[in-house]
Amino acid sequence: MTTVSPPPPFDPELAAALSVVGESLPPSLTADMIQPMRSGSLLADPTDEDLARGGAFTVARRTVPGPAGAPEIELLILTPAGARTTLPGIYHTHGGGMIVGNNRSGVDVLQDWATEVPAVIVSVEYRLAPEHPHPAPVEDCYAGLVWTAEHAAELGIDPHHLIVAGASAGGGLAAALALLARDRGGPALAGQMLLCPMIDDRNDTPSAVQMAGLGVWDRTSNDTGWTALLGAARGGPDVSPYAAPARATDLSGLPPAFIDVGSAETFRDEDVTYASRIWQAGGQAELHVWPGGFHGFDMMVPQAAVSQEARAARVRWLRRLLGA
Amino acid sequence: MKDLAVRLAALDPDAGAALRVIAYFDRLAEGRAGLQTIVRGAAVLAGCPARLTDDARRIQLRVQPDGTDATAGPPDPSWMSVGVADQAVLWLERPGPPGPVDAMVLERAAGAARAVLERTRRQIPPADPASVELTLDAAAPEHLRLTAAARLGLKPSDQVRAIAYAGAPPALLAAGNRRIGHPVETDTGRMTSVGPLQHAAGRPGGTTAADNGLDATITVQRAGIGPAGPVADLPTSYTAARIALRFTATGTEADPGPTVVHADRLGGLALLAATVGPGTEPIPDVRALDRVAACAPWALATLDAVAETLSLRAAATQLRVHHSTLQERLTHAAPLLGWDIREPQGRLRLQVALALRRLHRNGPA
Repeated sequence: MTTVSPPPPFDPELAAALSVVGESLPPSLTADMIQPMRSGSLLADPTDEDLARGGAFTVARRTVPGPAGAPEIELLILTPAGARTTLPGIYHTHGGGMIVGNNRSGVDVLQDWATEVPAVIVSVEYRLAPEHPHPAPVEDCYAGLVWTAEHAAELGIDPHHLIVAGASAGGGLAAALALLARDRGGPALAGQMLLCPMIDDRNDTPSAVQMAGLGVWDRTSNDTGWTALLGAARGGPDVSPYAAPARATDLSGLPPAFIDVGSAETFRDEDVTYASRIWQAGGQAELHVWPGGFHGFDMMVPQAAVSQEARAARVRWLRRLLGA
Repeated sequence: MKDLAVRLAALDPDAGAALRVIAYFDRLAEGRAGLQTIVRGAAVLAGCPARLTDDARRIQLRVQPDGTDATAGPPDPSWMSVGVADQAVLWLERPGPPGPVDAMVLERAAGAARAVLERTRRQIPPADPASVELTLDAAAPEHLRLTAAARLGLKPSDQVRAIAYAGAPPALLAAGNRRIGHPVETDTGRMTSVGPLQHAAGRPGGTTAADNGLDATITVQRAGIGPAGPVADLPTSYTAARIALRFTATGTEADPGPTVVHADRLGGLALLAATVGPGTEPIPDVRALDRVAACAPWALATLDAVAETLSLRAAATQLRVHHSTLQERLTHAAPLLGWDIREPQGRLRLQVALALRRLHRNGPA
């Protein structure tokens, strides 16, 4: 393609919020900003007290084997209080561009789901790039998933109702877990919940170009994240689909997918294409493109009308999928 | 890159908060955001429920700080509030006085809401007067009347009233007090063709034009309102509305009485309309009223107040005079009538005479 049109406008309510919160979150993040971000106040992680939600959840941590030859990994396990039977399990891979975050990041969103559709949440602590490039992050996640499936009974999880879920980089990791589980004959997954997933290291779609310098996590930030994960291989011919699921040539035989994304973000086109390719491969996917949404809009501006719609759509999908 | 704990939440009253409030509502205005969004912004930034109330436009919005809507009881007058436009008020559901952030939220949200109200008022398409008249025309075939109503956005099953005006084309009153047709001046001087109708009767000393949301300098328009019914019955409603119009008054001292009359509430009085007109010889009671009117500027209005209220005290309140002043006035004016208006029968006779006097003044259109 030669020219790219101006970007779609942000939803007015989201644009107003961005003008307020955006001052602490520039669209373009570069490698030198990774360390300040890790130690900065932007990452206000929930405390154990936050996670317990006044006793609605029990909070536990398990240290389990990592990939062969690699360190152990920590799983954060949040179980709805007073569960009498086994519940669906949601295995969470946190976001943060592959470079920041921990297994508490973003779990409050999943807790909101579990309040509506009771489920056990297992959130994995994986090693981050650039110190730990591919395949360390995704293999950590996979090891934790295998352990979770094998210990489902002990965790109170119904093994037939185990799904993977993640947002942004975590969405990319969740998609990769679905591919890995299929290809290695691993855990049978009931679904994959991919929220504005980061899945294409090539970083050259029309939406990536359109949104350069705008909104949240623009093309420069995306380059920062992928380069941290893949180094010089980023965008080249030999990138593994388990690093960048958009690279997968076969999207058949995957669990039902839920994919959402904003129309005004870098990931719009790669996520829409991923859904289309699942359908073309005979698979099931539910795709939501929220008009005027920037990356992560529903988390940063949960009160906005379009955010409320986006959050409600996920719970409705979970209800249908898990029969709650 | 989504798990950053950067969130839009209630602002601390630090130095930057006011600037962020300004930026927020400026961007909303730029994006032509709607009222709901503006009220939600106020709730989120102030960290308490916010409301927009506008009786004139029948707007009742309430949003909680988490962004969800919820209805509730009437606003508490102790809450912080600011006028948006005429009857529109923005509220933060916290007792005042507002702190610096609250004050800025109120001011900026009200400004954004005002822009929306002005914009949407201008965007209201004028109702086609020919279509309004057609729906009321008993001589037109029903299918044409229904088609005309559909052009005005009315379904055949909608409950609609006809409104007859003095010296202006008729209008319709649909559910939710939505008025269709006949532009009237509003307090801001703009023309509007769709809007709620004020029911209060413009009586001297009672409900005033200003109370009706109309500038007191603008003459209150007399209106008769027909009964509600399906669209096909509009010609019947209009006939009744024109009869009701004859029972209205300009609400001045020379012509006291209700500026708006509902046909529904006339009862047997409506029968009088067929027998009296400008050419009919007035009965002695009407001539007596004219004699009273000639004796003092306040005399007729005083009698009207006595006729329309339950007690002399209530009449004095309506006239905004002291009880003893009213007594003096009645001592002066009542003998000119020739009957005792403090007796129940005398009051009825007075009410009928006042009604007849209006029928003489307002002939059948």
